[in-house]
Amino acid sequence: MMFNKILIANRGEIAVRIIRAARDLGVKTVAVYSDIDRRSLHVTMADEAYNIGPPAPGESYLVIEKIIDVIKRSGAEAVHPGYGFLSENHTFAEMCEKEGIIFIGPSSEAIRLMGDKVTARRIAQEANVPIAPGSEGAASDVEAGVIAKRVGYPVMIKASAGGGGKGMRLVRKEEDFKSSLRMARSEARSAFGDDSVYIEKFIERPRHVEIQVIGDSYGRILHLFERECSIQRRHQKVIEEAPSPAIGDETRRKMGEVAVRIAKAVSYRGAGTVEYILDQNGNFYFLEMNTRVQVEHPVTEMITGFDIVKWMIRIAAGEKLSFSQDDLSIKGHAIECRVYAEDPEKNFLPSPGKLEYLRTPSGPGVRDDSSIYNGYEVTTFYDPMLSKLIVWGGTRQEAIKRMATALCEYIVLGVKTNIGFLRRIMENEEFIRGEIDTGFIERHPELLPPSLGEIEPALIAAALAMRNSTKEVETSKQAPASNWKLLSRKLAVSRNPLI
Amino acid sequence: MMYTFKFQDQTYKIKLEEEGRQTEVEIAGTSGTDGQCTFAEKGIPLEFQKIDESFYSIIVDGRSIGAGILKKGKKVEVFVGGDLYEFESISEREREISKGVISGVQEIKSPMPSRVVKILKTNDDGVKEGEGVIVIEAMKMESELKSPIEGRVKEVKVKEGDAVESGTVLVLISSE
Repeated sequence: MMFNKILIANRGEIAVRIIRAARDLGVKTVAVYSDIDRRSLHVTMADEAYNIGPPAPGESYLVIEKIIDVIKRSGAEAVHPGYGFLSENHTFAEMCEKEGIIFIGPSSEAIRLMGDKVTARRIAQEANVPIAPGSEGAASDVEAGVIAKRVGYPVMIKASAGGGGKGMRLVRKEEDFKSSLRMARSEARSAFGDDSVYIEKFIERPRHVEIQVIGDSYGRILHLFERECSIQRRHQKVIEEAPSPAIGDETRRKMGEVAVRIAKAVSYRGAGTVEYILDQNGNFYFLEMNTRVQVEHPVTEMITGFDIVKWMIRIAAGEKLSFSQDDLSIKGHAIECRVYAEDPEKNFLPSPGKLEYLRTPSGPGVRDDSSIYNGYEVTTFYDPMLSKLIVWGGTRQEAIKRMATALCEYIVLGVKTNIGFLRRIMENEEFIRGEIDTGFIERHPELLPPSLGEIEPALIAAALAMRNSTKEVETSKQAPASNWKLLSRKLAVSRNPLI
Repeated sequence: MMYTFKFQDQTYKIKLEEEGRQTEVEIAGTSGTDGQCTFAEKGIPLEFQKIDESFYSIIVDGRSIGAGILKKGKKVEVFVGGDLYEFESISEREREISKGVISGVQEIKSPMPSRVVKILKTNDDGVKEGEGVIVIEAMKMESELKSPIEGRVKEVKVKEGDAVESGTVLVLISSE
């Protein structure tokens, strides 16, 4: 039986995405929002909306009791956690299980096992899945130093509770180890409330390739092929694509099989992602499993025609996956760009503020998953992602061209964005040839500043703005008080082709 | 009318001339020193339409440009071809002043609202160019702010745990 009503324990574009999926299924939606999100799009789009307190996530979106309370008050039968926030919190999933609320995702047990990255490595090892050399478990400061030396620099320091690149540091030289360890622990503590870390050998020029899996409640687990997410900044993905230009059918089949094996080891239900690092020789190593919908899920949807979010809801409602692995195939190529309010020239520092003006791209094969609008305020409380721009093309080359065009159609004023930077990546020869790895952005600092190629039109536009504002001041100086007269003057002005 | 803009430490001049309904444009880019033009084109006919409050369609000698424009006082933001150009409009007098000697003291400012996590250098510590001076945190990400010059820490104006606004001066570095 399909649900009558579900609650979305999230905000931003993913909340909007889930609301749309629920609507497709004829399911009513309940939104929750913090004080600062009253004007957010997910609130206006949902059938019901409930305030859950102050803007800081720790006082609203992360408070399990508040979410459970709204689920009960609203009469929602199930909850979709989205990504981030409570999505990988096994205590929340467990509470839902106890309260008879359906958690749209895997069992609390699967979340717990995979959430601890050290346990996940052990499970992978037991399932005969290759893993990168490193520490057996969480390491003390002294142990960490010893292990780093043993596996040999460069090494990665990673938060045991980690995800999203937080609490992660690459260390190339022994003398940098201590300070990096301190930073990683401090970041992990503030992001996850747990500062334990483990050490992993860093693989040179690694590519990040992941497999989307989906399992129903009856033991069927399928994979939806791979996504390549090698273009990263600060260990966070910026551009994702499917399929990966780096692997052939044989590796794809192996990666998929291994992913399904790991998922089966924890009786996985719902959508999940098995992440690998792929070295330059085509060997892959298990990295971690994300037990939630992934930010970059749309690229998989575009090449398979499979609606991941809708299927998450259907599976939670008890539906069976009605097809087998052989029914799935890849059609064309999809790319996603994460559009952030950030300044590429200042080490990608977030750029909060009001969106004074917004124009978004469209056209064949263009999908813009966002929750922003003219006048939207980017705050420092949440992730500064503005939108996920996704394109589909018959080939990778067509998808790249289409993405470049779409990025050129985008206009955002009021905050800094990475749109120009993304466009320059689309025009980069190495990227076009598919020669990418996670060090791509660091290797290409020349892509960070605006290209001076467009400075001339920009200058002309700036001069026109100055000229017009002077004209407006002159006009307003003589303007009488009556609004009616002011209006007629404006109309007269707008008929002049020069203004 | 001549307009002068600063963009990434370079000064650009642009002249718009209006003859009836015709506007002509002339651009001169100078890189630091006056008179060194990187490009200069004269008398290109220009026509434009304001599509809405911030979107302009400009046709310069047949070339069509769609640009988003936002003017905030002396700052003009132009969004064209996927890039945001932040210009500062400057008058002739300001140009003269800016040519003066740069002060021996450099400020390290908070690039955005953030929290001071760790102060790595204290008063009178020597610093190298590019050396980390202070660690701030915003949106759960820590970043190390580096000294723009070699010198000595003149003053640390904040303490660990302080919440700071965008543009707050955190540390002064003197070049000695």
